[in-house]
Amino acid sequence: MQFDRRSLLRYSAAAGALGLAGPLASPAFAAREKELNILCWEGYNSDEVLDPFRRRTSGDISAESGTSDPDMINKLRAGEVNVWDVINVNQPWARDEMWPEGLINPLPKERFEPFFAEMMAPFNENYKWCYSEDGANLLGIIQRFGPFNFVVNTDKVSRATAEDEGFNLFNEASNAGRFGILTYDNWNIYHMCIGAGLDPFVPHSEAEIAAFEKVARAWFKGAKLKTDDLVAMNLALINGEIDLYLTGGTYTASPARLDGETNIRGITPKKGPLAGGKGGITWVEVTSVVNNPQVSPLAYDFLEYVHEPDACHAVAFAEGTYNPVTQMGNPKVFEKFSSEELDAIQWDSLEEELSNTVDYQINPDYDVMDKIYNEAKREA
Amino acid sequence: MATISQSLSKADAQTARGRLRLSPGLLTALPVLIFLALAFAAPLLAVLGYSFMPEGTFDFTFPPTLENYFAIFSGSYYISFAKSLGLALATVALLMLICWPIAYGMAKLFGRWANLMTLAVVIPLFVSENIRLFGWVLFLIKGGVFLGGLKAWLGIDAESMLYDVPAIILGLVYVYLPFTLFPMVLGISMVSREVTEAAFDMGASRWQVFREIELPLAMPGILIGGLLTFILSLGSLAESKILGGQAVIMIADEIETAFTFGQNWPLGSALSVILILFSGTLVLTLLNWVDLDRILGRGGND
Repeated sequence: MQFDRRSLLRYSAAAGALGLAGPLASPAFAAREKELNILCWEGYNSDEVLDPFRRRTSGDISAESGTSDPDMINKLRAGEVNVWDVINVNQPWARDEMWPEGLINPLPKERFEPFFAEMMAPFNENYKWCYSEDGANLLGIIQRFGPFNFVVNTDKVSRATAEDEGFNLFNEASNAGRFGILTYDNWNIYHMCIGAGLDPFVPHSEAEIAAFEKVARAWFKGAKLKTDDLVAMNLALINGEIDLYLTGGTYTASPARLDGETNIRGITPKKGPLAGGKGGITWVEVTSVVNNPQVSPLAYDFLEYVHEPDACHAVAFAEGTYNPVTQMGNPKVFEKFSSEELDAIQWDSLEEELSNTVDYQINPDYDVMDKIYNEAKREA
Repeated sequence: MATISQSLSKADAQTARGRLRLSPGLLTALPVLIFLALAFAAPLLAVLGYSFMPEGTFDFTFPPTLENYFAIFSGSYYISFAKSLGLALATVALLMLICWPIAYGMAKLFGRWANLMTLAVVIPLFVSENIRLFGWVLFLIKGGVFLGGLKAWLGIDAESMLYDVPAIILGLVYVYLPFTLFPMVLGISMVSREVTEAAFDMGASRWQVFREIELPLAMPGILIGGLLTFILSLGSLAESKILGGQAVIMIADEIETAFTFGQNWPLGSALSVILILFSGTLVLTLLNWVDLDRILGRGGND
């Protein structure tokens, strides 16, 4: 074969064209039976959770943790529905945003509904955030959850005082310079609403938005420490630099508690301006199957796998932060947890705390409040 | 004559067009050009396009608007721009002072020890920036290596310097030191010994040699180093978040917030466009002053 400069150019161009077309053409030929991509909050991406599933399926399982619910959903909106098979975000997003936008698939009810019967109350009876608004479609399964409001050092502020006073503690002038703000932006906003005596999940009047702004500005000015690093915040609490912080709860206090710092405690206020006079909010993760045109069948197997007792324990106590799981209603799952682990996730008060909270939902005035929140943070 | 030259230039243009069409150079560069268009220009154009879409939208189907730019200029974003700018300038100024003696030593005095010095500066770059910054957190936090040591050894109970402006500047100076240092070393090594010796022979003082010989001749390296550090510091995020908590909201933080928590891609895009325009204008203006060929030793000036 004659191989001159001209033919080299021709073959190079052909190879280049193939190379460019390859990635575009590959989905048409690729079977994704042994591949699974999970987009999740940290924990589901740990080897303790994934390795047993990898061994069982011999699959190529990868998982990436996101930094916020909107961030993960934005990835799907930006076209990554072709990449991910499973998405794990907090409760309102599946029903209110991802399902209406066609970003997730419904789950087969006959396969997944039986798992709900073994969950702890109140999650064991048609938990509404797992279903489409008309109730016709099952949109995800639930596992990790937790009350998430504020955290105190009980050596400085007693649990009883904190639960009775609730978020008013942050309004008291005497507490300025004694608290921190864990800047989980879109979650602080909800607690600042409560601090202003507002229910964050209903539409707000101009006067109410002004009340929110007043609280947001006062709290940012009064905060001694502002960081989005929960370890730094817990250390500041342990070192005595601060006595309390918002936004926090089981999820953020549990690592310190498991290290023996049991004076660090997540607090759920006993009363407040939320529906039914409740004072706190509970976050529940809903895990769904992405509407990937080539969705991996392993996605459904994975959702089934995480209900097994060992997997439930691994999910609850994966690296970083620790959380209760709804499957703890099943005695076979519950017996996997040691007394230290139960204490770390505040099992003793969990039922009572849940009864004082409402579900996390989307705030209808989030856009306006987010702007005010960012201004207050910037200008503090 | 005019007709002949016109027809000649027309013929030249036709030949040039023909050459352009057939040029093997263009053909072989095509994959790279396509890659650059897809990977570099397309995302930037998308950001530019989104910046003219209405607030909170996720596609390009709406009529363009300037509302995001109005929101930025009428709001308090100038605070974040100003603080980022201030921190970037402070970082560059401090690094100039810190790096000059080190760079001078590496270029002129240390001899073969300069290689060891280079390694000492380069090796930390193999460790992730976030891990190195968390190392500083452990060093500076109350009860950590420094303050814990002070308390245990000397009984001094000092407050942590974390979560404030000095800690952020420390992080920026620490992370971006190599970006100032190495171009500066390159710049100083361009100052030939003969020139400084001649100046001394002519009776110049040490200060005069520094101000009138070394500084101007090393300026291309100093400018490149300063520019790199300035641009990187201006768009930095990790230092202010990890060491500064949220004491200072950098402009990169505002952009991230708009894209994630804010769910407002158009606002994030408009903030990005302003930052890119600002950085781009600065880079192009300064690069006009600097003869890159000369600094890279390919110069036709010598």
